[in-house]
Parts: sequence; C-alpha cells; structure tokens
Amino acid sequence: MGSVVLVVRLVLADVRRHKVQAAMLLLAVTVATATMALGLSLRGVSDALYAQTRAATAGPDMVALSGMTDPDVTAALAALADDPEVVAHHGPYRIVYADLTTRDSTSSPVVVQGFAETPGTVNRPLVTSGQWVRSGGTVLERGFATALGVGAGDHVTIAGRSYPVVGIAVTAATPVYPWATQIGPYGGPGDYSGLAWMTSSDARTLASSHDLPVTLALDLKLRDPAGTEAFLDAHRSATLRVNFHTWQFTAKQDLVILKDSQPILVVGSWLLGFLAITGVAALAAGRAAEQTRRAGLLKAVGATPGLIAAVLLTEFLALALAGDALGLMIARETLPAVASPTASRIGAAGLTGGTVAAATVLAVVVAVLSALRPTLRAMRTATVTALTATARQPRHRPWLTALSALLPTPLLLGLRLTARRPGRAVLQACSTATTLIAIVALLTLYAQPERGYGLDGSSVLPNLRGVHDRRLMVAITVLLIALAVVNTLTFTWTTAIEARANMAIARTLGATPGQISAGLSVAQLLPALPGAVIGVPLGLGLLSLFAAGNWELPSSLWLLGAALATLLATAALTALPAHLAARRPVAQTLSAETA
Amino acid sequence: MNVSSAVVRACALVKTHGQGQSRVRAVDEVDLEVPQGQMLAVMGPSGCGKSTVLHLLGGLERPTDGELWVAGRRIDTLSERALARMRRRSVGFVFQAFHLVEELSAAENVELPALLAGRSRRQAGRRASLLLERVGLAGRARHLPSQLSGGQRQRVAIARALANDPLVVLADEPTGNLDTAATLDVLRIFEDLRSAGQTLVIVTHDERVAATADRLVSMRDGMFVDDTWLAGSRTRGLGGLIGLGE
Repeated sequence: MGSVVLVVRLVLADVRRHKVQAAMLLLAVTVATATMALGLSLRGVSDALYAQTRAATAGPDMVALSGMTDPDVTAALAALADDPEVVAHHGPYRIVYADLTTRDSTSSPVVVQGFAETPGTVNRPLVTSGQWVRSGGTVLERGFATALGVGAGDHVTIAGRSYPVVGIAVTAATPVYPWATQIGPYGGPGDYSGLAWMTSSDARTLASSHDLPVTLALDLKLRDPAGTEAFLDAHRSATLRVNFHTWQFTAKQDLVILKDSQPILVVGSWLLGFLAITGVAALAAGRAAEQTRRAGLLKAVGATPGLIAAVLLTEFLALALAGDALGLMIARETLPAVASPTASRIGAAGLTGGTVAAATVLAVVVAVLSALRPTLRAMRTATVTALTATARQPRHRPWLTALSALLPTPLLLGLRLTARRPGRAVLQACSTATTLIAIVALLTLYAQPERGYGLDGSSVLPNLRGVHDRRLMVAITVLLIALAVVNTLTFTWTTAIEARANMAIARTLGATPGQISAGLSVAQLLPALPGAVIGVPLGLGLLSLFAAGNWELPSSLWLLGAALATLLATAALTALPAHLAARRPVAQTLSAETA
Repeated sequence: MNVSSAVVRACALVKTHGQGQSRVRAVDEVDLEVPQGQMLAVMGPSGCGKSTVLHLLGGLERPTDGELWVAGRRIDTLSERALARMRRRSVGFVFQAFHLVEELSAAENVELPALLAGRSRRQAGRRASLLLERVGLAGRARHLPSQLSGGQRQRVAIARALANDPLVVLADEPTGNLDTAATLDVLRIFEDLRSAGQTLVIVTHDERVAATADRLVSMRDGMFVDDTWLAGSRTRGLGGLIGLGE
C-alpha cells in the first residue's frame, strides 16, 4: 500500500513539474483514440441506425422490383406475395422517375413511390414532421429534404407540377439518400436520386400525364428474415426480369457513403498515434538526464528498479488512459454526425466494447513506447552514475565534421547539430513524412472529379460522400499538422537546450546570433527534407492501398508545392524557438555549464 | 601611455546585475587601457567582478554604462552581429572550464573559429595543425577532449583562441582547473605568446600566474583598487618567477 502511495505521489509531483509534456501526451492520445474510435465504429453505427430505422418503419425483408409493367410482371409479383414464406407484403406499387425542383430552383432526380393514404403492415415510412401523404401533396424522404433544404409546408415542383410538401419521413426500404432509385428506369442503371411519396392515384397520374418511366415494386416480409438468400434462389426466373433487394443488401448499401471514411479515420488514427509517440518520446529524451538523476536519487534512498519502472510507466499510462477516456467521450459525442452524413436514418448508437478496447490498446501502446526508453535507461543505470547523469555525449563523426567544414556557417552548425542526435533527426523526418502523407491524401481527395447529386450530375446538390470524406480528411490533416507543429517546436527547443553550451562556445568564437538561429533551424530542416521527399510517395502508396478504382492523382506541381510549403512552414516554425535560444546571454550559459 | 596604441580601452565601465534592492554593481566605474603586446593580469577575490570585466571586454556582456573600445573601435554600442564579428577577428577566449566541443577532436575544435570566419577547410586545417604543434599537441590532433588531460584540453583551448590571430586573448582563470605541471605548461605558452607580442588579459586569483604578467590590476567589489606595472618581469625566468623550478 505504501508503495502505491509513493508511486502516486511521485507521479503527481512529476506531472506538476512537467505540465507541458503531460498536456502534450494527454492531447495527442485524445485525438488519436477519438479518431480511431470513430473509424472503428462507422460500420457498427451504420448497421445499428439501419436496424433501428427498419424496426421503426416495419422495413421489408425483401423488395422485388421490375422495370416492366406488363401483366406478366404484375402476375409474377402477385405470385411472390402468395409464397408460403411471405407473411406480409405491401404492393405492388408504382415508382415513377421524375425531376424535382425547389422554389430556389435546385433540381434533382427523384423517384416517387405511390403509397396508400393509410400505410400497410410492411414498409410504413415514419413521419418525422408534418403528416403522411394525402391527395395532391407529397412527402419527402428526410435525407433528400435535408439536402434540398426543404421542410413540411414548402412547395416543390415534380415533373412540372407544384406539390405541397405535407410531411417528411424516413424508410428502411431503400438505401440512404441519394441511392433511393434501387433500379433505374426500365430496369437499367439508376442515377443519384431522392425519394418522395404520393398517393397511389397521384403517382399514377404523374406517370401517365408526362409519360414518365415507371417501375413496379413489392415489399415482402418473410417468415425467416435471415432466409432471404434461400428465398432468392427459389424465385430466380429466367424469363421475367425481377430484381430483388434484400434488407442485408440495403444495410450494406448504406455503408457506401462511408466507404472512404473508415480508412481515413483508421489510418488517420495510426498516423496521429505515431506523431503522438514521436513528440512525447522527443520530450522524454530531452529530459532523459534529469529522469535518470531522479531515478538515481530514488535508488539511493532504497527504491527498487521495479518501483522506478512503475513510477515512470504509471505516469505515462495514467495520462494516456485519461486521454483515452477523453477521446472516447469525444468520439461518442461526434459519432452520429460522422457515421450518418445523411438524415435518412433515425436512432442512436454508441461505441462498442471492441472499439473501446482497440482505442485503449492504442493509448497503452503510445504510453509504453514513449516511456520505454527513459524507463530502461533509468533502471539500468548504476545509482552513482545516475546521480551525476548528464545528457548523453554525442558521438564523434569525423567524416561529417569534415564535410560540414566545407559548408557556410549556418549549414555547418545545422549539420553538426543534426548529427548530435540522429534519433531525433529520424523522428523529425518521420513527423514531416506523416504530415506530407496527410496533405497528399487531402490533395488527392480534392483532385477527384465528382458528380453532384443535382440534375445531370449538377453540383447544385453537392456530392455528400465527397463532402463528408473531405471534411473528415481536413479534420485529420489539421490534427496531424497541429501535432507535427508541436513536434517541430519541441524538437527545435530540445535541440537548442541540449546544444546551448556548444552554441555559446560558437558565439565566443564569433558566430552571430543569426548564424546560431539559422543553424538551429537548419538542424530541423535537414531531416525534414528527406521526410518531405519520402512523404509524397508514401502518401500516394498508402492511398493506393485503400483507394479502389481509378483515382485521379493531384498534379505534380501541387505535390511539389505541398512538399515545399511543408519545408517552408518547418523553417518558419523553427525560427522562433531558434531565435529565442540564440538570444540567451553567452556568459550566463557558460557560467551555468561551468557550475 | 599612448592611447592610440591601446588594444583595449574602457572608460567608466559599469555593469549592474539585478533590479531594485537586489541591484548589484558587479563592475563599478572601471577605467582600463591595455597597450599592444601587454600581458595584463586581473586579480581579486571570488565575486569581485573579474570575470564580468573579461566578458565585457570580449563583448559577451554589454556594459550598463561607460565606453568600451577594442582596436580603436567603440564596441559597447555595437549590435550583437557586429560584436560577433569583432570577436571573430579580434578576440580569443580561454576559459577555466575549457569549453571545448566534446564531440569534436582537438584539431576540429581548433579549426572551428577559422571556419566561422569563412576560411576554407584547408586553410583552417593548416592553421590548426600549426597551432597544435605550437602548444605541443601535434600528436593529439585526432583525440577527443574526453581523451585529453586537463592541461592538454586547456592547451587545445589556447590554440583555438589563437586560430584567427586575434588582437587580444582574454583568459578567464586559465589554470583554475589544472594541476601544477599543467599550470606550468600553460604559463609557458602564455610566456611564448607574450614574447611574440600577443596582447593578453588574464583573470586569475593564482598569484603565480599574476607574477608572469607585465602588469597587475587588483579588483575588489567591482572596482580596480591597484594597478601595478611589474617592471622587468619579461627578463625573469618563468620557473623562478612562479617558484616551480625549471
């Protein structure tokens, strides 16, 4: 018990003394776990929302559709309803393909389903505002109405005729907006469409008055909802063209809008986790000598290596788990918006146990990897050595010293500073590469040609999937850049602090503050350069792993610009800490080092 | 004394530290002229302001008040950049704690000022070899500071201070960390430098070092309290002077 109290006391004291490192670890783990939890939850949430909508709307187990309307097809659909496996049905009903225009002239393809004024037992759309269809009025599907910016009480024009929007509803019989078409006119391919309902007679009038294409549909409720495949096998017809959409297919179709969201979030969380490790590890390395002295002090008063390890690991683990909890809370709050970009589904969903476990594993990995080196060093160093520990002496690199001697002073100083801590240089390179990966992914997303959801692919109704992916990618990129910025500042400051004695000596030998400052900046830029060079192909490679189909690559000019901008930003970011470090009075530094 | 020949000149030099009631005058109205080729020793108890004077003369610290001239150029009004250039050309520092760059070899440490001054690698290397030979460390050129004794490190530091052929070498307790034998080695080098006409300002509280100087200034509480010209010191043997034997 006493050891636990001691560990807690030491951890709290260290956190209080090193608030910046604690805050950095907490924030980095928070964003990484929140992102991972969101990414891993998408499929489950989409399924859960579909299931809840299906339950609330008596969603069919199967929808049979045919682009033909002749008597044979009608008879075949009627025969399906009589199958012993079918316990209830709705229809056949008309689906009319038309155009819809709002008052502000936004136009979109729409499929109009002709329904009874009193809904049946299967496929009863849930009215979320207004009322159900009545003669002369239309009800719009909620995802479609939200995209159009239309509500109950507004008027829309369908196939040239004005209809009042009497209500807004949701259904599980079709996939989320804009995939309401299910099949296109005459059984062909469908376009992005919204969904509207009218009374059966209004739908018939609409179709006949404008000679619009019509599809017949029949909603079926099966005795065994899981037996859709067997039902399909039993009713495949070689002569009649009837398409069957199972509820499982519709649920899967809902995920199409999230197809790229999941890799964006999951890969984003890996990258965020990686940057969290690099940043915290760099900070911890900067404090290594102090940590070792502290460990030596504890050992001197009787602490075992186990207790030393417990103190260090507990500190990192406690902060990481706090970050994990915070990240999971954020993920839970933002989940509905991220997992359901359309308003086509109702219900709520939370994080699953598996997601919470995966995010927590990520947090623990970040904590352990960040704490590993200082912990091992503190445990292994002999007590007396630990008590007088100083920063690890850099290695002598004659070839590099000779090479740098050929360079102008800022490069000479920068190269030698970089060589003092090659591990940190690698971390800086990785940090830059990670940033570039995100920027390349973002540029690639913006480079994709996109078909809007408006009439004839017009972007008057934006492509929700593209918009959603870009929003997520922008958010991930901003978070990654923010962490990379913090890392760059940390690397520069740690380098400056560790090299302050050498820089002060250089000042006594005639180096100007400007040269020192430039040297410190160059020390970060040198590893950032290969990071930027490798980040671009890595970003493209990572995209090729997750991106299906033919992706348009951003122009080489954009990629080059991104790499250059990253390097310029790195130079600018290093300037302030480098400037501050270079301004430190020389005499004061040398006196402090002597003492 | 002919003012124009002064390499270093300070007029009413003041340096204060701290603020309000904790304000301390580390250097208090100091006047000083060091002519070309003179070896000046500044002595005094710890904390009397000796090192601060040296830092002021070398432009590492700025005076609170007064005027400071090096090689006929006023330096207390110079920018940091200009001060750095002045140090590069005109001043060489030797510290008690050596302050060598630990990851560079002896030769690379000595090359450093020349490289900072924009000399080529070859010129800097040649000069470093020459200087290391002069301080008796030609065979230790590739050694890291950690592989050298204290006396050898200080000799490397002296060689480094001479790399750009400075007008004045400012040494702050150069023998403070050395044993007797190493002290003798360093003093021999200073003697050689003085013979060669090098201007030296040495801050020390070691009377043996002070005894080798041309002139001895005593400091107390930030002020010069005595200024003695040690006539004939150039003619005395070093060992006899400092009581070490030769």
